[in-house]
Amino acid sequence: MIGRRIPRIDGPIKATGEAKYTTDIYLPDMLVAKMLRSPLPHAKILNIDISKAKKIPGVKAIITGRDAWDIRHGFIETPRYPADQYCLANDRVRYIGEEIACVAAVDEDTAYEAIDAIKVTYEELPAVFDIFEAIKPDAPDIHEFRLPDLIEPFKNVGGRCANSFGDMEAAFKKAYLIREDRFETQLRTHCYLEPQATVAYYDVNGKLNVWTSSMGVFRKRMHLSKILHMPLSKIRIHKSWVGGAFGGKIDLFSHEFCTSLLSIKTGKPVKYVAERDEIFSYFRHGQPMVIDLKTLVAKDGTILGQIVRCYNNCGAYRGSGVVCIFLCWGFIILPYRIPTLDYIGYSIYTNNPVRAPQKGHGAPQVRFAVESQLDIIAEELGIDPIEIRLKNARQKGDILPNGDTIKNAGLIECIEEIEKKTDFRKKYSKNLKEVKQYKNNTRFRRGIGIGVSSYFTGTLIYPHNSAAIIKFNDDGTVQCYTGALDIGQGAETILAQIIAEELSIDIKDIEIIAGDTDNTPVDIGSWISGLTYVTGNAVKKASEDARKQLLSSAAIYLNVHMDSLDMRDRIIFVKDNPERSITFSKVLENHIRDHKGDPIIGKGFFRGLKDAEHGPSLKNAKGAWSDSYAFDAQVAEVEVDMHTGKIKVIKATTAHDCGFPINPLLVEGQIDGQVSMAAGQALSEEIIMEKGITLNPSFLEYKLPIATEMVENDYIDIITEEYKKGHHFHTKEVGEGYVSGILAAIANAVYNATGVRAKRLPIRIINNLS
Amino acid sequence: MINKGVKKRLITLNINDRDYHVIIDDRDTLLYILRDKLMLTGTKDACGVGECGACTVLVDGKAVLSCLMLAIDGQGKKITTVEGLAKDGKLTDLQKAFIQYGAIQCGYCTSGMLMSVVGLFNTNPNPTKNDIKKAIEGNICRCTGYNKIIDAIEAVKDKRLKDKNDR
Repeated sequence: MIGRRIPRIDGPIKATGEAKYTTDIYLPDMLVAKMLRSPLPHAKILNIDISKAKKIPGVKAIITGRDAWDIRHGFIETPRYPADQYCLANDRVRYIGEEIACVAAVDEDTAYEAIDAIKVTYEELPAVFDIFEAIKPDAPDIHEFRLPDLIEPFKNVGGRCANSFGDMEAAFKKAYLIREDRFETQLRTHCYLEPQATVAYYDVNGKLNVWTSSMGVFRKRMHLSKILHMPLSKIRIHKSWVGGAFGGKIDLFSHEFCTSLLSIKTGKPVKYVAERDEIFSYFRHGQPMVIDLKTLVAKDGTILGQIVRCYNNCGAYRGSGVVCIFLCWGFIILPYRIPTLDYIGYSIYTNNPVRAPQKGHGAPQVRFAVESQLDIIAEELGIDPIEIRLKNARQKGDILPNGDTIKNAGLIECIEEIEKKTDFRKKYSKNLKEVKQYKNNTRFRRGIGIGVSSYFTGTLIYPHNSAAIIKFNDDGTVQCYTGALDIGQGAETILAQIIAEELSIDIKDIEIIAGDTDNTPVDIGSWISGLTYVTGNAVKKASEDARKQLLSSAAIYLNVHMDSLDMRDRIIFVKDNPERSITFSKVLENHIRDHKGDPIIGKGFFRGLKDAEHGPSLKNAKGAWSDSYAFDAQVAEVEVDMHTGKIKVIKATTAHDCGFPINPLLVEGQIDGQVSMAAGQALSEEIIMEKGITLNPSFLEYKLPIATEMVENDYIDIITEEYKKGHHFHTKEVGEGYVSGILAAIANAVYNATGVRAKRLPIRIINNLS
Repeated sequence: MINKGVKKRLITLNINDRDYHVIIDDRDTLLYILRDKLMLTGTKDACGVGECGACTVLVDGKAVLSCLMLAIDGQGKKITTVEGLAKDGKLTDLQKAFIQYGAIQCGYCTSGMLMSVVGLFNTNPNPTKNDIKKAIEGNICRCTGYNKIIDAIEAVKDKRLKDKNDR
């Protein structure tokens, strides 16, 4: 079952429309919630008058910041980075779209009418949108907050992560070439197809029932409990299918708080579904970054050191910006050996909407910069892109600066295999020669480029761990209870495969009961690239536990030692004499009879980084980060229309070391999606903002890839870790590591085709051609 | 209220071979009636302005965006939603192929995507790869990069043509 292309188990309910997403939850007597948002980027709220709105027939409740307790929330809540955002604005708004009031009414029209009738008096404050304006001494203060250890004379610094090691002076002395470039990545967004949505129902027993489009039910429950002043036991997050997330649904959102509070106030179910233009204009996007990158290399291309400054425009509140600047450090030190580093990342407040993680969370930004510059350096040194990457690639046994060990790494094999498969060197040098000698006057030019990336496999952040329970029906079929939430990646299928493997049963004999805080054990959630590793191991252990109990019980009835037994298709048999057998069903029946009613329940749990108390420091990047790291090399082949500047990705090849691919069909699906998202980021996607206003708040104008822009994909499995039965199960991340190498590869391929070096995304060659 | 005085009327819509008598006001979209009034939530609402294709249904066999069509215009027509594809609890070859080839991830675009493809096959049983891409270019999918969706559609096409030739 492991390693096979099993079609996803939620396929039938999704192909027939039966799967219920949060948007599909309709409860009797349900109210509709709509949000009043700030029209100003920065202002004091002097007064909110809801008196007129309240009188409109059909309006059931209106809440403002005054109804919320004086509690703030944050993606990160630590002593260094205290929570900085209210669920509803208190006395000040800091971006256009910030939530001010929420209305529950009998229908949408009435709710909107009430929203229009709320009168807010503002005193406008000066606003700042650009990071380099925001750090100036005369910039307006967006928050009172000051980082105690900030040494730079910068204003509006929401977070700072600094880490350096090695002897930089010596590196400078040894350097043959020093290259310095500035790279900028755009504001991109997730484009999850299911809008942000929540249904909350506070029932007569005082239980708050919540369905919400999210990435992890236990994290949402923790946030809601804090912000609503309610015990965890009084909040239940129900399972609903999730129509895509890509990082954008992990934070606590205002509407989740508001629907809950409105339901508490009215005693009725309340539903909020964000409009698509609201999502594009006001919700959390990815993180636009400016990266100043100075790299010191020896004559042979060996990296001697790097000096890196990352400036992250985190928007009006901290969001995940401070995590992103830590991760940027991580994606600098990962795929290549960096002996000397001077890194500082800044997360800077501006009067823009808040930022969230998005697939890669720092990796696309950093890899675009590093891989582009590495190609520049290689060309200046007269060595090819493959050689310079092989020279610096991390290998098995490497110790990262924070102390993590690279337990296995297939990066060198990835680079070598992808070179062979794409005939990279030959194509690259041919194109480059033609470009350099201006020999290519054809309208459509081809180029090839490579990018390399690495990604972590889960870390410690609440809820830190996953647990699972395996129980049997009388006929020996299995039910697995897991808090995992399938957000489209195929979590439930993977978990079923692991159980099927451990218990040697058909996948059809397994039912996964998932994603419900009342009915399933704790789960880390579908984020930080850790589900298959953390939850997968919990489920594996629960299965092992069940298997052991079954075998030891069967051994008694078959009168043999349990080591001589094996199982298949719900039958336990003697290995040497398969005729001697007993069904799961009979074992369970006997076990219940002979063990005072014990029905055999398997229990399993897992937490990564077993020796670490907590995750890495966001201040100085010290401390354990992850148990294992996935590696990849990706090659893009592009065609550029020199008349129009239109760039097309003809083909993408991904050589990946994702540990052991439990389901290659799902692994390919993850890679396809990431290549497509990267092509969008490279070529067309951008949220265009002016003074805090989003100018293109729609799918049409945001320009994400459509079917006619599909990129042909090829895959190379580099398996460094064979899956061995009974051995510790070390799969690696596959959900977001492959959005970065290919992004850089596309930029490098465009250079190879045209001689135009992109330093800003999306790539625009037309302004650079003369 | 904005909708005060808007006339309500009773109409009949034939959806998945069944007549539904629904009270609408003239502004109601077909999508709204399907989801909010008839609880046929297989049809998805992802943008509401005709840009994403998630709400695609068949009207007299043709793929139509139900968010851009008024419910009142559905009278006297044969409407098919994703719920109407499987017959007697058996999935169609297209639904099966979507599952088999990994064309479904989060699933939110799936219903609309399926309906666009049924619409395509109704008019063109032998589409080229380019025809297929064109037919679904109005259906946004963020998960799959479209690769496995197109694989699934091509597989169905090939199998249907083969079955026809074998007959």
